[in-house]
Amino acid sequence: MATTTLTPAASASRSALYAWLTTTDHKKIGIMYLINSFFFFFFAGILALFVRTELAQPGLQFVTDQTYNELFTMHGTIMIFLFVIPILAGFGNYVVPLQIGAPDMAFPRINALSFWMLPLGGILLLLGFVTGGTAAAGWTGYPPLTEDYPLASTGTGQDLWIVALILIGTSSILGAINFLVTIFKMRAPGMTLFRMPILVWTVIVTSVLVLMATPVITSALIMLFIDRNYGGSFFDPRVGGDPILYQNVFWFYSHPAVYVMILPAMGMVSEILPVFSRKPLFGYKAFIFATAAIGALGFSVWAHHMFTTGAVYLPFFSIMTFLIAVPTGVKMFNWIFTMWRGQLMLKTPILFAIGFLMMFLIGGINGAFSASVPVDFAVHDTYWVVAHLHYVLFGGSVFGIMGGLYYWFPKMTGRMMNETIGKAQFVLMFIGFNMTFFPMHELGLAGMPRRIADYSSTAGWNDLNMVATIGGFTIALSMALLLWNIFISLRSGEPAGDDPWEANTLEWATSSPPPDYNFDRLPEIRSERPLFDLRHGRTAEH
Amino acid sequence: MSSSPRSRTSQTAIFAVAVGAAIIGLSLVLVGLGVNLLDAGHIFVTGLFPPVAVTTEGAQIRDLYTIVFLIAAAIFIVVEGLIIWTVIRYRRKPGDDTLPPQTHGNNIAELIWTIVPTVLVIFMFVISWQTLSAVDKSSDEAQTKIRAVAGQFQWTFDYLAPDGKTILYTEFIPLASAGGGMNVPAGRTVQLSLVSNDVIHAFYVPQFLFKRDVVPGRVNQFDFTVNESDVGQTFRGQCAELCGSGHAIMLFEVTAMSAAEFDTWLAGKAQPAPSGEPAASGPAPSGQPAPSGQPAPSGQPAPGAGETLQVTAQGVKFNESALTATAETPFRIDFKNEDPGTPHNVAIHQGSPTGQEVFKGEIFPGVAEKTYDVPALPAGAYAFVCTVHPNMTGTLTVQ
Repeated sequence: MATTTLTPAASASRSALYAWLTTTDHKKIGIMYLINSFFFFFFAGILALFVRTELAQPGLQFVTDQTYNELFTMHGTIMIFLFVIPILAGFGNYVVPLQIGAPDMAFPRINALSFWMLPLGGILLLLGFVTGGTAAAGWTGYPPLTEDYPLASTGTGQDLWIVALILIGTSSILGAINFLVTIFKMRAPGMTLFRMPILVWTVIVTSVLVLMATPVITSALIMLFIDRNYGGSFFDPRVGGDPILYQNVFWFYSHPAVYVMILPAMGMVSEILPVFSRKPLFGYKAFIFATAAIGALGFSVWAHHMFTTGAVYLPFFSIMTFLIAVPTGVKMFNWIFTMWRGQLMLKTPILFAIGFLMMFLIGGINGAFSASVPVDFAVHDTYWVVAHLHYVLFGGSVFGIMGGLYYWFPKMTGRMMNETIGKAQFVLMFIGFNMTFFPMHELGLAGMPRRIADYSSTAGWNDLNMVATIGGFTIALSMALLLWNIFISLRSGEPAGDDPWEANTLEWATSSPPPDYNFDRLPEIRSERPLFDLRHGRTAEH
Repeated sequence: MSSSPRSRTSQTAIFAVAVGAAIIGLSLVLVGLGVNLLDAGHIFVTGLFPPVAVTTEGAQIRDLYTIVFLIAAAIFIVVEGLIIWTVIRYRRKPGDDTLPPQTHGNNIAELIWTIVPTVLVIFMFVISWQTLSAVDKSSDEAQTKIRAVAGQFQWTFDYLAPDGKTILYTEFIPLASAGGGMNVPAGRTVQLSLVSNDVIHAFYVPQFLFKRDVVPGRVNQFDFTVNESDVGQTFRGQCAELCGSGHAIMLFEVTAMSAAEFDTWLAGKAQPAPSGEPAASGPAPSGQPAPSGQPAPSGQPAPGAGETLQVTAQGVKFNESALTATAETPFRIDFKNEDPGTPHNVAIHQGSPTGQEVFKGEIFPGVAEKTYDVPALPAGAYAFVCTVHPNMTGTLTVQ
């Protein structure tokens, strides 16, 4: 369904910009997703630095408590809705059609539409800063704090937050439909379902989650909007509404959303590990079933975010949450045994993938503490949870994203990224990440609630907070290295060639960057590693 | 193939492995020992363990935590060790270009690492469930019943009669105060009910290892028993659910008294009730605001008093920013509290809001109205403040 744009004869620079702004090419759209997401990543990262700076010492030194609430609300909202979710969609956009041997996404114009809703949503969200204050009720936006109460988050910023989230959610839904149709209808001859790269499988499961869950949060947000602006009474207890209803509906989306944020990163790690171990992925089918199991179980655990509300049936959500550890464990062992007896080429992409394994393991083990309801009574809503979620979303997703960036950058640009700077970035990021977030476990156990602007100097939290702040700036330094690396590699990186990593999947069978419509011709596809087969001949059947 | 020379690849590989191992070691040392020592001396900071529990329920949660922690630590060490060992052992050696065996998987291995974790998590679920039924309970048999009322941004504690309805005594905690809170009899089971005036809050005492949300429109209840050995101790507590700009200052304390001491204290506090202390009519358990429009007669209007000043509190603010009164003449303040369920008062301080208090009106929750009789004041500048919300201020000029 490729539509060709006949570029009008205009000045060269104008037509280049025009070509990007009007493109329906999945590769250009994918790259725009990445640029847009990284912009918001750095922006929200700076917000996090403000938060850490304020918390470094007891006392309110830099911001008011209201501003503080805006800072962490915007940090969380932007990181989740404008960075992690879209950047994974961006990688999917770039890589998935290439990996299945398709010329483009199934609906190129809808693809462009779903991208352009993101910067629009982001601008709406940020408008709060100039309309008298952004949303300040946390990324969760629980009513009645978001209802019309005297001391609640009642500004225009909160309405903008609702509208932005609805817009971004709609973008996700359109993207998910596009992915599903592309993957099911546009695979190259020979690319059967069980020959697809794992990344494609994780994008399928992610898209199903998005498709089933996002409309639910959209409805919650619309109800909240009606409550706030048109005198609705869905969640306002003063007029018979139920604030717990919002939490149920919100987490019915937002827990599956955690898997939306981690599964594609797992898929990327599953692409990197086999290539740099020079072995196939261990337990390819088990891995697919585990991914599907995580997606299915993901819909039955939402209320573990609500154990302390006194309004959920605890044992059911406890056992389901525990059980989700099983498919996750299967994946972990499959990854490790992919490397086992391999020939590990320790380049930057696999370093980040190994970092993913080591850090996501901690985030996963933490999950067992939250699943144990009485333990959750102790740690819920403390810094322990902040540690846990960052070990999943930063230790997991962001390490995976970095690995993916170093891995596919040569394909996207035709140039290699600098290995030395890449390794330095990895080391700094690993140290900074652990310095920032590991002490938060101890802070939470010692009773520090999350989302507080200030704390007592006698509570015993001073030193750990200082360590976390120093770690936060270490992460910032590692991100400066990343920007520098991207900058110099784009200017003068080594030419990459078609296949710099001796990789397995189809995107490496075309030029770097690939031409319009991706392939001149495709190799024969007889396993999940068509390029390996091409190099070494067909090995033992599995 | 990578375009960099092979020997350089292997050197950087070894470099990376060494650096990686150093980082991991450093991180573990830092978090395991160093950081813990930093705050040594604080009884609350006990590394990767929660504080020592001061309730019987908390102690059970801590035991459960210990089991979960030991299982988690074992998994952590085995799996992280496996990752690190694999990376070091199977890194590519210089010049070794052989293709490793192309293993596609092993069904028995998959079965093992499906079944073993399943058994493990079911075990953890069962012990968690057992502990849950022991620590998350509420019985009307409890001798002592207390109701915590949360509102932006302070706590109020109602001590209830055994029927669970009649209020014996109400303690308002001033906003952002360092001290004050709830007294509890050690060794006796306390039933705590949680009621919110406005948004969602959470009652959290770290040394109880327990928290429970305070949800408007809903009454949450739980029992706890403070250890008798902790008599005389004070535990810090605070709101754990984001409730607005003052979330961080929504603090309280729990003080453990001996049962006898508690009875004496409560009897003493509850005593001056015969004339009916109207302030004690806290919000109904349903979280509904107290009946509105009932001006509570607080003292008789002083005959021959001077003018009457009108003051209204609404949205946790005074509607008036400046008042004037005549010097050396008693006057009255007609105070309307328009905030449902939120306690306010009017106090007069010398000079500035933090100056010396010269008059303090009775604290009462809205929506209600009271008239205060203010004694004669010498001419000068004063501030009027809500004792519960020190950020609610205005100026009073006496001339």
